[in-house]
Amino acid sequence: MYKFSDIIAVPEIRDRFEKVRKYFFMRESTYDMSNRCNIRCEGCYYFQGDKQFAEENKNVSDWKQLMEVEKERGITFVVLAGAEPSLVPELCQTCYDVIPLGCIASNGLNVLPKEIDYRIHISVWGNDQTSLEIRKAKNMLARQMENYDGDARAIWVYTFTPVNIDQAREVTKLLAANNQQITFNMFSSPVGYNGHLRHTAKTLAHTRKIMSELLAEYPDTVIFSPYNIVAHTHEQGLHNLFSCSYPRMNPSTDIGLGRSFRQYRTDLKWDRDAACCVPDTDCDDCRHYAAGSAVVTARMYRHASDPQTFSAWLDYVDTYLAVWVKGYEKGSNLCRELIEPPKETDH
Amino acid sequence: MATDIQQTTTRIAEIIINELKLEDVTPETFDADLDLVDEIGIDSMDLATIALVLRDEYGIRIDEDDYPKLTTVRIIAEYISTKLAEGK
Repeated sequence: MYKFSDIIAVPEIRDRFEKVRKYFFMRESTYDMSNRCNIRCEGCYYFQGDKQFAEENKNVSDWKQLMEVEKERGITFVVLAGAEPSLVPELCQTCYDVIPLGCIASNGLNVLPKEIDYRIHISVWGNDQTSLEIRKAKNMLARQMENYDGDARAIWVYTFTPVNIDQAREVTKLLAANNQQITFNMFSSPVGYNGHLRHTAKTLAHTRKIMSELLAEYPDTVIFSPYNIVAHTHEQGLHNLFSCSYPRMNPSTDIGLGRSFRQYRTDLKWDRDAACCVPDTDCDDCRHYAAGSAVVTARMYRHASDPQTFSAWLDYVDTYLAVWVKGYEKGSNLCRELIEPPKETDH
Repeated sequence: MATDIQQTTTRIAEIIINELKLEDVTPETFDADLDLVDEIGIDSMDLATIALVLRDEYGIRIDEDDYPKLTTVRIIAEYISTKLAEGK
């Protein structure tokens, strides 16, 4: 067993730890901005469960008041999601004016005003043929790239499903040619979903291979790390690997996400029993990039067992910050190996 | 025993002051019953860092499930004493 002081005595590890720990102040919550979307995708999380039926609050004053209360409560990072935030830019602007650190999850078909200087995650689910089939939207990638050409806020989030794994190659190549960035997500089944988009051991292994190849071939375009690949393509889901710390799976209200995280619906109400980054996901199948960003990051202690494992954790956190915080520059990955996640009892 | 606990309490306070870069307080003046979450504003990542420093210092393992219980310097000191007595 290494001492923590020995691990961070390695100069490149110490430098990376000091770089990422400056962001330990971030405390997130998420907000459904509207109950509408301009497309309808198969397997969309928003249109699962009862949150889709929440009455839409479009009142700017109400949102401003909510943000001020959130800020007072200690929230420093907002994630504006469901169903499609770009349909209510005035509400996004209101959030930005009060809490200027955050991210918007969008399908990229509408341009968000430049004044809203959040990171923007643009969802992509395969090539345009697949998007047409699953999302019922034509020329999706071309339209997204035109809308966010040269926009430093934008990063594409490619969701791997069993039917689009190899298409990640042409999408990444196209984004690289246009000087854009991409990160990876995994389709995670909503509760009760047993359709053809649910991953199997075979599709997880194939996804791992493609992710590894793309990370090696496009290191300036792909914002990911070998440890991200392991964590998100493991046969065990994130909860089984790392014990999810979102309120939905964590009864403690003493510290961390269990204490501060809330997931507001578009009527500005929230339910602790349903609160996580992507509600209505089947926790046993959860490999969401958003979930990992909090769940893996929170498990620093168990990763501080040796320099390699801690380096892998630092790569994960460095990736998380580069994906979620506008202006944060990712460093080169410190751990190039695909290492097995440590168990809680390993340290 | 009481002296040991007092020494541990002072050392933990020193570690917290160093890690959180707290000003206007010394290990000797740090209120051992101050709630670290509610009154100092410590978060889970800060606590994990402090736990690692304590692991180095005392050679004990701190369970992830125990984090939420470690809300004051006095409680942490008692936790460490118990762990040391158990030989972990």
